[in-house]
Amino acid sequence: MLKMTHLSKVYRTEVVETYALRDFNIDVKEGEFVAVTGPSGSGKTTFLTIAGLLETFTGGEYHLDNIEVSNLDDNARSKIRNEKIGFIFQAFNLIPDLNVFDNVEVPLRYRGMKAPERKERIMGALERVGLASRAKHYPAELSGGQQQRVAIARALAGSPRLLLADEPTGNLDTQMARGVLELLEEIHREGATIVMVTHDPELAARAQRNVHIIDGQVVDLAEDPRFHTAYTAAAGQVRG
Amino acid sequence: MQIQPILAALRRHKAGTILIALQIALTLAIVCNALFIINQRLSHLSEQSGVDEPNLFVIRNMWGEQYSTQQAVQHIEEDVAALRQVPGVQDVSAVNNYPFGPSTWDNFITMKPDQLSPTTDASFYTGDENFVRTLGLKLIAGRDFRADEIQDKGLRDSIVPAVAIISKAMADKLYPNGDALGKTFYAMTSSPITIVGIVDVLHRQDVSSWSASYLGESMITPIRIAMPWGLTYVVRAKPGQLEEAMHAAPKALFAENRMRMIDPKDGLLSFAEVRHRAFEKDRGMAILMGIICVVLLAITGAGIVGLTSFWVGQRRRQIGVRRALGATHRDILHYFMTENLLISLGGVAIGVLLTFGLNLWLVTRFTLNLLPVTYVLAGIVILLLLGQGAVLAPALRASRVPPIEATRPA
Amino acid sequence: MFAYYSQLGLRSLRRNPMLTALMVMAIGFGVAASMITYSVFRAVSGDPIPEKSAQLFMPEIDSWGPQQNEHGEPPGALNYVDAMALLRAHQASRMTLIYQVMQTVLPHEANAVPSASTGYAVTADFFTMFNVTFQYGSGWSTADDDARAADVVITDAFNQRMFGGANSVGQKITLSGHDYRIVGVTRHWDPSPRFYDVWSEAGFDNPPDFYFLLNRALDLHTDNAGRNSCRGRITYNGWDQYLQSNCVWLMPWVELDTAAEVTRYHQFLEAYSADQQRAGRFAWAPNVRLPDVMKWLDVREVVPPESRISLVVALSFFVICLVNTIGLLLAKFMRRAGEIGVRRALGATRHEIYAQYLVEAAAVGLAGGVLGLLLTTAGMSGVGLLFEPEVARLAHLDLSLIGMTLMAAIFATVAAAFYPAWRAAQVQPAWQLKSN
Repeated sequence: MLKMTHLSKVYRTEVVETYALRDFNIDVKEGEFVAVTGPSGSGKTTFLTIAGLLETFTGGEYHLDNIEVSNLDDNARSKIRNEKIGFIFQAFNLIPDLNVFDNVEVPLRYRGMKAPERKERIMGALERVGLASRAKHYPAELSGGQQQRVAIARALAGSPRLLLADEPTGNLDTQMARGVLELLEEIHREGATIVMVTHDPELAARAQRNVHIIDGQVVDLAEDPRFHTAYTAAAGQVRG
Repeated sequence: MQIQPILAALRRHKAGTILIALQIALTLAIVCNALFIINQRLSHLSEQSGVDEPNLFVIRNMWGEQYSTQQAVQHIEEDVAALRQVPGVQDVSAVNNYPFGPSTWDNFITMKPDQLSPTTDASFYTGDENFVRTLGLKLIAGRDFRADEIQDKGLRDSIVPAVAIISKAMADKLYPNGDALGKTFYAMTSSPITIVGIVDVLHRQDVSSWSASYLGESMITPIRIAMPWGLTYVVRAKPGQLEEAMHAAPKALFAENRMRMIDPKDGLLSFAEVRHRAFEKDRGMAILMGIICVVLLAITGAGIVGLTSFWVGQRRRQIGVRRALGATHRDILHYFMTENLLISLGGVAIGVLLTFGLNLWLVTRFTLNLLPVTYVLAGIVILLLLGQGAVLAPALRASRVPPIEATRPA
Repeated sequence: MFAYYSQLGLRSLRRNPMLTALMVMAIGFGVAASMITYSVFRAVSGDPIPEKSAQLFMPEIDSWGPQQNEHGEPPGALNYVDAMALLRAHQASRMTLIYQVMQTVLPHEANAVPSASTGYAVTADFFTMFNVTFQYGSGWSTADDDARAADVVITDAFNQRMFGGANSVGQKITLSGHDYRIVGVTRHWDPSPRFYDVWSEAGFDNPPDFYFLLNRALDLHTDNAGRNSCRGRITYNGWDQYLQSNCVWLMPWVELDTAAEVTRYHQFLEAYSADQQRAGRFAWAPNVRLPDVMKWLDVREVVPPESRISLVVALSFFVICLVNTIGLLLAKFMRRAGEIGVRRALGATRHEIYAQYLVEAAAVGLAGGVLGLLLTTAGMSGVGLLFEPEVARLAHLDLSLIGMTLMAAIFATVAAAFYPAWRAAQVQPAWQLKSN
């Protein structure tokens, strides 16, 4: 489903070249629920933005659903994002001017779907996250957990093959976080592929498989001595 | 307040900075030129006629048929006599035209009979011995016409006056040393005309731009021109009796001979109306330019408010950080005021070039005068003040951003 | 998608009412100022006789010579001698001579008072050359010209005033003491500017009441009531000497249908001037011109400078309003960079973002256009305050001006939005993720 080989991402400034990812290899199979963990600045978010085609990469290969994406132009990348990928952001990223219904509708609009089908899908997605009754509400009128569920509904409405989640519970309290996580697990059980970036080892433990990134590379937890110190430090930072 | 960091910040907002500067530049160009046009037009409005305006009115009389010269002369005498009988009328003169009139009669003036290139071009008035007195002209040298000097002439007759009374402006043009009285000139005539009198001011008949270089140059000849279709009577009312005299005068004329026409629209005009009509387009231009200036300044000011508000909104966090690091309200206020001043100065610098560019174009295309530097300076001051005024509200809002803003996510 | 973008645009406009109002006002004032001044400019600068303006020419002959003419240009009219020579030469397929007259008209009722009327003394070809159409009757013939007939053609407005609009052909009318027979009543015909008389007048004065025979007018010593311009010493005494003088006052027009005819006529004018030089009447080489209608209007500078300056200033004003709008749109669009990032992440292409913001700008433009239309309508009633009455009466609000107002507002605003919308479309989809 998602396969990166020898992928690299370099940020160039006037003085230095920084490798955000180097010789990065990952293979996520169809239907997997993968948690990506790693300390701050390890390259987790860079990985996610490249995986989500929000950014281009510098070298290597990336196959998404068996399509080599490095040569695609901006329009084709937009189309893939729209049709194959669902995003769940830490900050929800709902559009404040649009009500719940209209927010969920955004990706469907860009897919050029007819109004009746849009409506059916939106209401289906909202029912699934338990917010069908709030369709006319604006994001500001909802709690954080509800907002994140709307964001999930928006990601689900287009029936994407791949869900990418960036700290989906990062801005939520424990109880709300649990609800959101249960929702993700349910979606996974129904067959979706999920890649979730998180700091939280507890959250990561709920996934089928954990991938750890340190200094822009995937590492084997057991073998790499750097992991323990770095990861503990990072976790400490977050809790502090 | 250091300027370097402000400039650095502006470099990150190139588009907005350029747009505000451009707007200020264009506004300066338009406002300066518009103010100048307004001033030029208003100066026309205050041009002196030299006549006793408050007490004068004109009757543009047409007879029922075309008369021969002899018939016309007789009718003029009857009309003038009738008008003199009207209560409230002090004086009457039969004239070819009057200052700011509807048409113009002007002759080239030469100093010698065979001179090819004329010395000047004078507005040509024909009038009787009552002309100077009726119009209330101020005779500053020489004498008025004597009754025996007045000739009666048809429109296509040879008109060769022996004497003339000229305006001071014309006298100065012909004889710059001030010794015009008693000297002669030619007005497309084969024999010389002797200057017997000089009046202080007598405006030309026209207010056209072509005659701007002959402003105030007029001559009066002792001729009663017997226009075949009728001519104009200038009537001077006794002080305070203009309205009554204006009301009664046409009635008296019709009573004397009803076969005549006085156009209801412009046959009977007080001199105030004459002036009003003559400068209609000047006043219109001044009003239009005035409206455009005011609206333009308002829109430019509002535009600055809008863009600065946006910048303040965008930089709330940054402002919060500055506040947290110890910047006072005043520091933040000064930051935005200085920022605007820098942009405005940049805009004004470009604007000065545009202003003179536009002015040069108007000069070559529409015979406008060159813009005096004072207008540009005034424009610059207006725009700088406008910018500072416009930025004040958003800058005050910025200065009230609490330091806590620094801790909030962007 | 257009409907969706419109809906988003309207929503966005409602969100920042102050900013929106500012933009709408800028566009509204800008377009209104431009349209009001344009309506006046259009009225004074148009082609007064589009179907024939390229076939009608004004022959000019320099009868004053290099020392007395207007900076090398021949005078804008002919003296009697040259005018008659041209008329008798019959070198053009049609030709007329024109001068302005002022006459009194005496109604039939016994105790009525006379009223003033203005008209032109013309020759028979005037009506055919200038495509004058008739409500009743017709013009007169060249034979009538030769017979010096006491015929008159009156205008529809004058016919209304004198005869209540009835068919007055065959009726008698007394102009300044002379009787004339009405042979025709024209339909409304008031070319603006009155191209055939712009040497004498500004071109926008009140239309004439009648046209009568030039030959007869000259016989009756009917004086020219229009412009008269002389050079050198004025030595004439009386009508006959006046006709022989160098004073110019007769306005000639010829109709020339092909380029060859134009060339031929120009050569004729040269030859005529050369003859005059040989005969000793002119002491200078031939100096002739043959402008067509539009060229002639240009030479005479018929468009009042006020009208041009106003238009230039108003258009500059509009440009400034647009610069203002670019800035405000930029602010408005970039304030929503976050939303753009999310939309891009959810699959919107750059084009879709671009289109969305252009549509939003078009909505601003439409609102500005509607405000502009209201201001234009209000301003049109104030045109009389800004321009001379003769010019102001020509300006009017019609469908084309309404359409132009709306179109100008929308197109200008969309054009102004190109850059801000482009900037919006450049927002990276990753932006929002990164900032967290």
